[in-house]
Amino acid sequence: MTTRRTFMASLLAAAAAPKLTWAEAGSPAYLGAAREADGGFALFGLSAEGADLFRVPLPGRGHAAAAHPVRPEAVAFARRPGTFALVIDCARGRLAARLDAPEGRHFYGHGAFLHGGEVLATTENHIESGEGRIGFWAASEGYARIGEVASGGIGPHEVRTMPDDRTLAVANGGILTRPETGRDKLNIPQMAPNLAYAGEGGVQETVSLDPDLHLDSIRHLAVSAEGRVAFAMQWQGEAMDGVPLLGLHLRGEAPQLLEAGFAEQVAMEGYAGSVAISGDRVAITSPRGGRVHVFGLDGALAGILRRSDVCGIAPAAGGFVASDGLGGLLSLDAAAAVRPLAHAARSWDNHLVALG
Amino acid sequence: MRRLAALCLALLPSLVSAGVDEAVTDVILPAHARFASETADLAAAAEADCTPEALKGPWNDAFDAWLGVAHLRLGPIEEEGRGLAISFWPDARGMMPRSLAGMIAEEDAIVDRPDEFGQVSVAARGLFALEQLLYEPDFSGYASGSYTCRLATAIAADLARMAGEIEAGWTDGFAAALTDPGGSPYLTDREALQALYTALATGLEYNQDQRLGRPLGTLDRPRPTRAEAWRSERSVRNVVLSLTALEDLAEALANTPIPETTDAFGGAIARAEALDDPALAGVEDPAGRFRIEALQTDLGALRRTLDTELGTALGVSAGFNSMDGD
Repeated sequence: MTTRRTFMASLLAAAAAPKLTWAEAGSPAYLGAAREADGGFALFGLSAEGADLFRVPLPGRGHAAAAHPVRPEAVAFARRPGTFALVIDCARGRLAARLDAPEGRHFYGHGAFLHGGEVLATTENHIESGEGRIGFWAASEGYARIGEVASGGIGPHEVRTMPDDRTLAVANGGILTRPETGRDKLNIPQMAPNLAYAGEGGVQETVSLDPDLHLDSIRHLAVSAEGRVAFAMQWQGEAMDGVPLLGLHLRGEAPQLLEAGFAEQVAMEGYAGSVAISGDRVAITSPRGGRVHVFGLDGALAGILRRSDVCGIAPAAGGFVASDGLGGLLSLDAAAAVRPLAHAARSWDNHLVALG
Repeated sequence: MRRLAALCLALLPSLVSAGVDEAVTDVILPAHARFASETADLAAAAEADCTPEALKGPWNDAFDAWLGVAHLRLGPIEEEGRGLAISFWPDARGMMPRSLAGMIAEEDAIVDRPDEFGQVSVAARGLFALEQLLYEPDFSGYASGSYTCRLATAIAADLARMAGEIEAGWTDGFAAALTDPGGSPYLTDREALQALYTALATGLEYNQDQRLGRPLGTLDRPRPTRAEAWRSERSVRNVVLSLTALEDLAEALANTPIPETTDAFGGAIARAEALDDPALAGVEDPAGRFRIEALQTDLGALRRTLDTELGTALGVSAGFNSMDGD
């Protein structure tokens, strides 16, 4: 009898017959998903200068992609609350495997690789209890499900790998949703987001902000080579409250919040869409406010870029690369001075994923 | 239908650049010139006589002019926090009365240093700070020569300075960045058009969700004191003037007749003018509430009409990420 697992394994074995690396996919510096001019969706591999290196059609609007550290494989998640993810062979431009969330679970849209790419971790909702889970999948066994742990909170969104390649940083956004009510937020008055550190044995440490900021949903993450975690937030109160939307944390220390001045905080409209660390800088984007805020890791504001519908951001040499819904790819220096890299008739989706 | 869409696409380049030029030259630049001029008049009036009775007229004229530019949240208004400093609303936490009362209690001498007044908290500046001083009984009993009178003069001068800087920012480069794009912040004609269309769509949404939606609150809990400028009873006037300015922008951007949109604007403006409820106090009684909700419904329909008739023809839509985040 062919079980689902052996079927998946044989499918992957066929796809991975000769061992390919990202070089066979053109050595992209970034992955980005987009809606194209004809209304279809695709995943693109991009050079450091923003040139298209490959294009793989996607069946619908995706969310983030997780890039395998060695093999040219990207895991594209269906949009929240999706129940499947696609492993895309970026060298051959085809589907390599499909992950289906276990019964009673759905994905939240992000994942990260551990153990040199052997294990994929995904953020999930245990629907019955509403508690967050981290699911683990064996990449070399056709992405077979191998286990799960509690995420340490409700609504885990982005997950990132720490420099030890064993530990995960998890953004438990704190917002309860259920599949039957879509993206309706069911627990705003009680929400309690946190930043958690977890391994295959479970949660090791959680970090929460002051109770005054319990409406600040911790949703997106970046991790520096030294293990400093940047967390970007989405405020569930009034935009005019002008609260912090970015924090930094180093394990064992207290979190530090970064702000750009009250008027600029208000202008972000309570919403940070993506975060990236590059060298001694950290940046967040707000598509609603049409802004990128760049800070030093010391907490000082380094620069502001105004750009409509900007959301994706990733590290680049000397600064960042940002992507927007107008089809622009922009180079930002360490003070947010901008240089257009590329422009195409497509709308870049929320996140830009850096490789390597 | 498909052939029609293809035809529209083929016509796009000329349509696009012409509409942006007209909007900037015929609508946006004159509106900024008027706001600068009216706030300069307000500042001059305050220098002559800073008492509430002398300032209410020029303040209302300046607020009228603000509604011609309030929705144009791009370019110079976005720099140095000017937009928020001019219009600190909604103030759900009551920061503004606290900030003003604090300055008055301390008699903060920064009111006598116009060059530095821009450093004062945005919660004690702009049109709404003046509204508090002129209309709120806790403040408005002040006499000529009092600290509050000097504070009103300083706020008026600060408004005029910001309006002048915004107008200069448009004429000295930002207008050209829209009409002749190719760098930062707009790479292409399409992006410039998209920016103006987004301002138009966002402006309509603001009238619907904020100017009407906040005082409506919920059926169980209407919130009349959450109406914009209720103290000066300008709440409905603000909606009417905003819709008038948004219609001017839409007609200029279209650069071709948009009869359904024109009708929808006309209907909504007529309904607002017929409310006979200047501060939207009617949110608290069933009949008044029904009529305000009907206006809100009109604005929702107007947004869809605009999107169908103008947005589709121009090939633009509201933001891909800003309208659908995660």
